[in-house]
Amino acid sequence: MNRRKFLKKGGMVLSGTVCADGLLLLTSCNPSETTKENRLSRHKWGMVIDLNKCKPECTACMEACRQENNVAFHGDKRWDIHWIRKVGIQERHSENAGEKMIPMLCNHCENPPCAQVCPVQATYKRDDGIVIVDHHRCIGCRYCMIACPYNARFFNYKDDPDWPNKSYPKRSHGVAESCHFCAHLLDQGKRPACVDTCEKIGVKAIYFGDLKDPNSEVSQLIADTPLKRIRADLGTEPKVYYKGL
Amino acid sequence: MSSHTRGIVVTVAVLVILFPFLYSLISGVLTGSSEIDGVFLERPDPKYQECVRETEYMRFHHMDLLKEIREEFVRYGNRGEIGFDSCRSCHTSRERFCNQCHNAVTLNLDCFGCHYYPEPTFETANLRKRGSR
Repeated sequence: MNRRKFLKKGGMVLSGTVCADGLLLLTSCNPSETTKENRLSRHKWGMVIDLNKCKPECTACMEACRQENNVAFHGDKRWDIHWIRKVGIQERHSENAGEKMIPMLCNHCENPPCAQVCPVQATYKRDDGIVIVDHHRCIGCRYCMIACPYNARFFNYKDDPDWPNKSYPKRSHGVAESCHFCAHLLDQGKRPACVDTCEKIGVKAIYFGDLKDPNSEVSQLIADTPLKRIRADLGTEPKVYYKGL
Repeated sequence: MSSHTRGIVVTVAVLVILFPFLYSLISGVLTGSSEIDGVFLERPDPKYQECVRETEYMRFHHMDLLKEIREEFVRYGNRGEIGFDSCRSCHTSRERFCNQCHNAVTLNLDCFGCHYYPEPTFETANLRKRGSR
């Protein structure tokens, strides 16, 4: 074998190995193998809040949320955390001008800006549409708080010694947190604490249900009544709807 | 230097170099174990015969198991049988079980800052005997 033949054959062998490796890599990147089938994708949770029924001075949902999710309350507005809170919004440019108190919570956007900016993918959207924080992974950079157009995210500046619901964990100092539609209760087949409480006190201003199910209360309300979403123009596709906004 | 003296010097040097290894070997044989001093794990209630995995696996890889079930629950919403709640049914005290090893190897974990794992009351704590393993 002369030098020319040797180089030719060597090149063929080399290119053959490279191509084979490339093929192997391509097949291993097939997305159908990496996606995980799970039962969460059967539902898509959504909420409708009827502002005509919601009383401006009532804070029952906020209290229920604190009790259920061990949300920190220090009595100092620098550190207090509200997963659901009452916000006064003003109507200026129409006949019915005035202030309205509306319950605000995480809107569980279809395109969540908080999940997009999270550098460690601690915030993510579950397959049932709930935007949730993995507090084990959160590094406390607070990008999500800046990204959220609804100011629904809060940072745990201080540990709260109170622990009302022992079956649900607290959050440690230094992580961001927000409403998660009581995902731990939904997994058990129950409803979120605020929805339950609102019904229990006889107001029933909050409706909760599956948006994928056309017969659910929420889907029918969305189909029949004119509902508004907050800052729908941003394209985040929030899943909390307001009636009478 | 005579060959005799050189032999003694070499022997002493070898012994000095090997002293830590020999010491741990001999002390291990004498005490009958190679455990870390001061680790006294609480023996679970005798009615529980076995753990969720083999003891040997749990001893070295319980953190992998915990991470696995955490991933499954937090990311996919599948709450399995295993969790801190099921650990607590046998290992009632984290002070006398979890912390024993973690303290011996100076490992500071913050699981229980957020997850509830109560210490047993004084009466129930006295019912369980302290024993090594």
